[in-house]
Amino acid sequence: MDENIISFKATVNGLILIMRDEDDFETIYEHIAQKLESSGRFFKGASMTVKYRGKKLTPEQEQKIAVLISKKAKMEIKGIEEDVSVSEPESDPESSQKAVNKPKMKLLFFKGLEEGLTKFHKGTVRSGRLISFDGNVVIIGDVNPGGEVIATGNVVVMGSLRGMVHAGADGNKEAIVAALSLQPTQLRIADVITRPPDTKEDRQGFIPELAFVKDDLVYIDRFLPQHM
Amino acid sequence: MGEVIVITSGKGGVGKTTTTANIGTGLALAGQKVVLVDTDIGLRNLDVVMGLENRIVYDLVDVVEGFCRVKQALIKDKRYEGLYLLPAAQTRDKTSVNPQQMMKLCQELKEEYDYILVDCPAGIEQGFKNAIAGADRAIVITTPEVSAVRDADRIVGLLEANELRNPKLLINRMRIDMVKRGDMMSIDDIIDILAIGLIGVVPDDERIVVSTNRGEPVINDEKSGAGQAYRNIVRRIKGEEVPFMSFDNDQGFMIKLKKLLGLKAD
Repeated sequence: MDENIISFKATVNGLILIMRDEDDFETIYEHIAQKLESSGRFFKGASMTVKYRGKKLTPEQEQKIAVLISKKAKMEIKGIEEDVSVSEPESDPESSQKAVNKPKMKLLFFKGLEEGLTKFHKGTVRSGRLISFDGNVVIIGDVNPGGEVIATGNVVVMGSLRGMVHAGADGNKEAIVAALSLQPTQLRIADVITRPPDTKEDRQGFIPELAFVKDDLVYIDRFLPQHM
Repeated sequence: MGEVIVITSGKGGVGKTTTTANIGTGLALAGQKVVLVDTDIGLRNLDVVMGLENRIVYDLVDVVEGFCRVKQALIKDKRYEGLYLLPAAQTRDKTSVNPQQMMKLCQELKEEYDYILVDCPAGIEQGFKNAIAGADRAIVITTPEVSAVRDADRIVGLLEANELRNPKLLINRMRIDMVKRGDMMSIDDIIDILAIGLIGVVPDDERIVVSTNRGEPVINDEKSGAGQAYRNIVRRIKGEEVPFMSFDNDQGFMIKLKKLLGLKAD
């Protein structure tokens, strides 16, 4: 059996069937049946939407597959439709890089703000450098103007933040940005974008500050007492 | 229908970005609708010179990749009406865009704006090819240095090979006192080599450094010699006949200019 003809992918939104355009419907149907025979129990009792991609199906073919899955896997199918969200990100490194670079706001955004995956970057992020991560990011160093840090979680800079920073990049407004010196070119949290005023203030030394979103506005606060 | 003008030089550091910012501002002051396009992907500067860096949300690469509409990426200038900037991406490289995409973009911008000024990166590789792809006219910048003139000559050749006829020459950072002493190439020396039409000569001016650091174009500075030169260039671009500043005799404008610049008028 050719493993590549059909593959199942379970996502938070439901089940995705990934098929190939060159295979005909009968072959695909056959393989779905076989695959469900071996792994169908997994979905037993579940209730979800089924999406498919890789091949265009007619409404009759969609229906046939829906009936097949609900019978074999004993699950309730809420609907079947073509998946038009994004094309396979992992198959194409170029597009997956793009996806991180300009993340889309998602309903199911990164939630590990307190305890989640964290990337530590040692060294200064210079102009033209992009540090992006699906999780929290800690920069042990400065972020210079022209440098970018994009994280789906919090961003903490153990140095001066003078570049562009985007925390909660896939939609989490609870995300924060903290730095020993917070003077970003532009600061974004989820879909809220701010920039500092055009009048430049000259600041001496480090003033540790924290940026967060409240009522769709970015607030900046010191996170250490004034006297230190 | 607008016009796409590419500002290029071959050599780096001769003032392409400063010139783009100043000519663009000048055209906008003259009531034209202007878009400045930064094609120096990965080493963008035009946004900094214009003082618009912190307003960037989308950039040139996002536009050509279809991630956003052109309108969304255009940044409205904070001082001048009718002036817009399309910034380059900083965390990508020149290969993110190809000449066909640039051509399409220029066509689209031409529909709505009077002048599209394309700030070209240094070099003659992909970035240069992208920058000239959609251009109708070219301005070649050089400084009175042998190396810059050599590179400008190469650029003129490449422009002609790409069907961009009649590029105009802009000589930047001219120091009349040094030319007089015979320490610097004169305007005639440069034109002898390049054999293209002159559009203007911009004197070396300390105020450029100040204005660049502040993010404010110098063209609006009445006291600046460079500002005056840029104002004349803008009028020439618009098709007016403006006499060149006199460089040979000491009568007239140059003497005033030198006094303004604090140089000794000999």
